[in-house]
Amino acid sequence: MEKGLIAIAAALSVMTGMVTGIGEARVAQQAVESIGKNPDAADQIRSMAIIGAAISETCAIYGLLIAFLIIFVLGA
Amino acid sequence: MELQNTVFSILAVSAIIIVLILLVNRSLRKFDPLSEPKGLVLLMIMLIRFVEGMLKDETNEKITEELGPYIGVTMIYIFLSNISGLLSIEPPTANFSVTLSLAAITCILIEVYSWKYRGFKGYLKSYFEPIAVLFPINLISKVSTLASLSLRLFGNIVSGSILMMVIYAMLASVSGLIPVIGNFNFLGVIVAPALHFYFDLFAGLMQTYIFITLSITFIGKELPD
Repeated sequence: MEKGLIAIAAALSVMTGMVTGIGEARVAQQAVESIGKNPDAADQIRSMAIIGAAISETCAIYGLLIAFLIIFVLGA
Repeated sequence: MELQNTVFSILAVSAIIIVLILLVNRSLRKFDPLSEPKGLVLLMIMLIRFVEGMLKDETNEKITEELGPYIGVTMIYIFLSNISGLLSIEPPTANFSVTLSLAAITCILIEVYSWKYRGFKGYLKSYFEPIAVLFPINLISKVSTLASLSLRLFGNIVSGSILMMVIYAMLASVSGLIPVIGNFNFLGVIVAPALHFYFDLFAGLMQTYIFITLSITFIGKELPD
């Protein structure tokens, strides 16, 4: 019973990844669009897109970390 | 006190870097500046050009000279740490102490350069910008830089290594269903390399680049225009 609840809690905290996926896809989409419009700035756009994706990924990683903490601290 | 596994992998990665530095030093001594660079020398020239280019884009010439060696060595260290999962040792960056200290160095550098380029008064004033009421939020944003830089690297690498562990266990139990040859985890040999390529090589390279780029960007943000 308790183990099942811990598993559900970990799964819920990993669900932050759902919205983060959409956000990162938006970053990639906008980067592709702006490279299409302005191919000369491709280098700058690439590094900005990577930084943007990395920063928006932070949210999902916090969720993942909390899932790990739930599994290894509460479930141990 | 019990030693963690990571201590040995930190020592292994450090030993690899020391050997690498000695090798590069030897080939640089033998290198004739007038001839065409190749091999290790060419690789080092490309690496240094890359780091200098990144630093010059965000900061000025003086900081490029000061921070170039640190950024370069940190890059090599994080990359070798991230891909050390390929040697089936626990990656040093999968230990939070390592990533926290790397991020702490970056945060100290940010504060030092902010102080240096704004003066003491301007540095104190930067905590109360744009209006004084925002002081707590500015303080939180300093701490969140430390947390996000360290947790991003740690989370990516540790999730990769845990996923690989889970996948190996799953493949071993699936191949165990086959009678005679099942004891040898042959499914792992077929499936795992592609996943190692993604989780160790690709994610490792990506996170190295992101850590370095974000460090340089945060330091460059503190400079006057």
